[in-house]
Amino acid sequence: MVDIRADSAAAIPSSPPARNRDLRPKRTFDPMIILWIVLALLLLFLIVNPLLRLIVDSFRQVNGSELTFANYISAFSRARHIQAVINTLWMASFASLIAASMAVPLAWAVSRTDMPGRDLAHASVIAAFIIPTFLGAIGWMLLAGPNAGWLNKIWVGIFGTATGPFNLFSFWGLCFVVGIYAFPLIYVFTRSALDLISTEMEEAAAVHGAGTLRTMMKVTLPLALPAILGAFILVFLETMALYGTPALIAIPARYNVATTQLATFFEHPIRVEVAAAFSMPLIGVTILLLWVQRLLLSNRSYVSVSGKGGDRRIIRLGPWKWMLAGYALFISLVTVLLPLIVLLHCAFAKAWGRGASLSNFTLDNFYHIFFEQMTVRQSMWNTFSYAAVTATFCCAFGFGVAYIVQRRLLPFTSVLAFLALSPVIIPGIVLAICFYAAYAGAPFYLYGTSAIIIIAFITRFMPIAFVTVGTGIRSINPELEEAVRILGGNRLMVLRRVVGPLLKKTLLGAWILTFVLATRELSTAVFLSGPETRVISVLTLDLSEQGRYEILAAMGVVLLFVTTAVVLAGMRVLGRDFMLRRT
Amino acid sequence: MGMDRRTFIAAGLAATLAPRGAAAQMSDHEKSIYEAAKKEGELTWYIAHYTSETAERFGRTFTEKYPGVKVNVVRTTAQVAFQRLSQDIQSNVPNCDVFATTDIGHCVSLKQRGLLMSYRPQGVDQISPIFRDVDKDGQFHTTSATFVSILHNTNKVKAEDAPKTWKGLLDPKWINQVSVGHPGFSGFVGIWTVQMKKLYGWSYFETLAKHKPQIGRSIIDTVTMLTSGERIVAAGPGGLAYLQASRGNPVGVIIPEEGAVLMSSPTSIMKNTRRPNAAKLFAEFLHSREAGAIVVDEYGSPLRDDIEPRPGVLKVNQMKLIQPSVDEIVKGIPECIEQWRDTFGI
Repeated sequence: MVDIRADSAAAIPSSPPARNRDLRPKRTFDPMIILWIVLALLLLFLIVNPLLRLIVDSFRQVNGSELTFANYISAFSRARHIQAVINTLWMASFASLIAASMAVPLAWAVSRTDMPGRDLAHASVIAAFIIPTFLGAIGWMLLAGPNAGWLNKIWVGIFGTATGPFNLFSFWGLCFVVGIYAFPLIYVFTRSALDLISTEMEEAAAVHGAGTLRTMMKVTLPLALPAILGAFILVFLETMALYGTPALIAIPARYNVATTQLATFFEHPIRVEVAAAFSMPLIGVTILLLWVQRLLLSNRSYVSVSGKGGDRRIIRLGPWKWMLAGYALFISLVTVLLPLIVLLHCAFAKAWGRGASLSNFTLDNFYHIFFEQMTVRQSMWNTFSYAAVTATFCCAFGFGVAYIVQRRLLPFTSVLAFLALSPVIIPGIVLAICFYAAYAGAPFYLYGTSAIIIIAFITRFMPIAFVTVGTGIRSINPELEEAVRILGGNRLMVLRRVVGPLLKKTLLGAWILTFVLATRELSTAVFLSGPETRVISVLTLDLSEQGRYEILAAMGVVLLFVTTAVVLAGMRVLGRDFMLRRT
Repeated sequence: MGMDRRTFIAAGLAATLAPRGAAAQMSDHEKSIYEAAKKEGELTWYIAHYTSETAERFGRTFTEKYPGVKVNVVRTTAQVAFQRLSQDIQSNVPNCDVFATTDIGHCVSLKQRGLLMSYRPQGVDQISPIFRDVDKDGQFHTTSATFVSILHNTNKVKAEDAPKTWKGLLDPKWINQVSVGHPGFSGFVGIWTVQMKKLYGWSYFETLAKHKPQIGRSIIDTVTMLTSGERIVAAGPGGLAYLQASRGNPVGVIIPEEGAVLMSSPTSIMKNTRRPNAAKLFAEFLHSREAGAIVVDEYGSPLRDDIEPRPGVLKVNQMKLIQPSVDEIVKGIPECIEQWRDTFGI
């Protein structure tokens, strides 16, 4: 999962056990120093330079070189622009609340109770995680468009009213769609926190006469609260930086948010400098909230969260379990089943508005995307190849940095670790602006190349790979490696014969996770892709302007087919839980 | 012209089959740029005139006529196309070879900055005189003409009940029922906005905003909103409405009494193109009979006088048309986008 921010809090200060020091090379010159320099230079290129460029550009005259505050004035002197930031904060707040109201009960039910269908509920969370947000948004446009949406049509059919009750193109519609595709993150955090809390305290409460509900409210939830709040903050930050769903829903809803506003600074004449200035509050909010989150998570003074788990008693809910199961079914309906059904119908339909019938069935949409519309085929190839390269590089790089940091092989490893994690402070769409400012023009001229998208993806997802692999390395006892060294093997042999094989599964897990995330990434790609480097997410956004949802749905079905296959293969090798595991 | 359906289809077939023997009929000029274009192998076409399906069809037909030269079709709304082009220009990356927008202001701005190539395709002489030589230096040429009019969902609104005038679109009975595009994305919507402002002042849009229209991005989306029944009246593109109606979708076209808004859209070759010959060849193609045949087949209005539109499709010279001047468009669209954002909040 996208849980790096939480773990970053733990990963940075983690001082390795003292015996690791013995591994530190004692020679005056170690060839590893070259590796250090290479990694540091790469991090400089990937993170420090783009971020510095963003900050410097925000003070630079538009298309000039003088320093000025004018960009901040242009960015924030219009009421509409400030309103966009306020709107974003509202949207992110309510979307996160919606996500939490789904995730927390579900996590509790799956972790602690005898609710029927727990495995299915869990599987449906994985499915919700795989569905790209923009695709879910399109599904919901077809379901809850105020007049033509299926749900409204069904409502009108049953109750005979003039119009249905749902209007997706509204503030609440926007929050709903954003929230239901953000909830897996809160679910994962809550569930792993609940898994770690011993039930002894709950039992004590029960002995003293508290009922199930009271126990949950007074004991269990407060214990898990820091983790829940931490996840809430992450979801808040993720949703704040979304571009695709707002572009699809917020424009018809006439509701401007910060990301759609940022996009307007790219209209002619392009004002990257103003966009940079406008990004600063987003980065500010991110840093502030990550700091709060770190405080929350590091202050775990609860002895009961021992990590050992202890005895776990399943709470018997009696008839209430059916109600909870109903809620779980509702969640899986709104996040996965309904959007998927409507997208599948649409992908095989001549015109989605005509409803489901044999005369409306066609394979033309798939024929069209595979054989007629060349850009679709190219963008599919781009999507999967960029994601594969990104995942491979992220894992290799994450492994290199994490290993050096964990084993303290080089001086100033904490700086390396900090740098590898630092992209989390940059929202995806702002990251794109950073890269655009730093590498699109002179002297690199990377705009329109696949390189700029891939390196932006690598930067965006490196923290995830770094933390995932780092956790794996931490679990390997250094004694194994020391043994190789004592017997005369060099570091390379250690990596090849010991660490590599032990980490195989971790690396594969990290690879798949990064791969899936990269296939669905839109915000980072949107300002960086040129005509030949569009990915499915960007093309979907382009084509969605015209409302040809049949083609979009067909593309989405292909994308989901591939990512699901990769994830299922991963589950076979790595076990069911690899995608949604916190540590 | 009295052409029945069968002859019409036959003519269409003849036009599409023509490429087979085309090599023999190529003019010397065409032959020489084709030979050079083959070495370049491809070109990138930023295109806002057509839907992505139609644009891809242009690309495929071009490659069938000129094997060995591929077209990378990049279809977006005009303002997004121009945004991408501006990013290209700023980064000094010549991604785009042929730029086809619906906002003529783009071409004027590019020309002022010296970014366009002067090239007059031979086919320009074949098109209707009213569309010829929009730019005296030949840096952009009209390659598409269609119109924006009132559209309605024929299942839900009978033609006689639909608005007859642009002003009529503001009738309170259409509250929550109107679909429009966004001038910040669509060039057609930009020109339409300039024209409505010219007719009725900005208060037209203040009233419209109170009626809560569905705002899409592309003007194409308005037709989808009608066919799906999401909205029932729209300011949308006539040609696409005819096409969708031919496929059995419930869309009707009404030419407003004030006149439909003519959209004549220009195409330019970028001066910094890496494939000048492929770009020129493609510019020639855009005025060819084959290109005209695609336009006709998709229920559009052909630019050439020697090609007849489908029966039932009005020729642009057969209806009352209004159009802002080039100067009004150049100055008006950026203003209108700002005003639109203030009025509609988006």
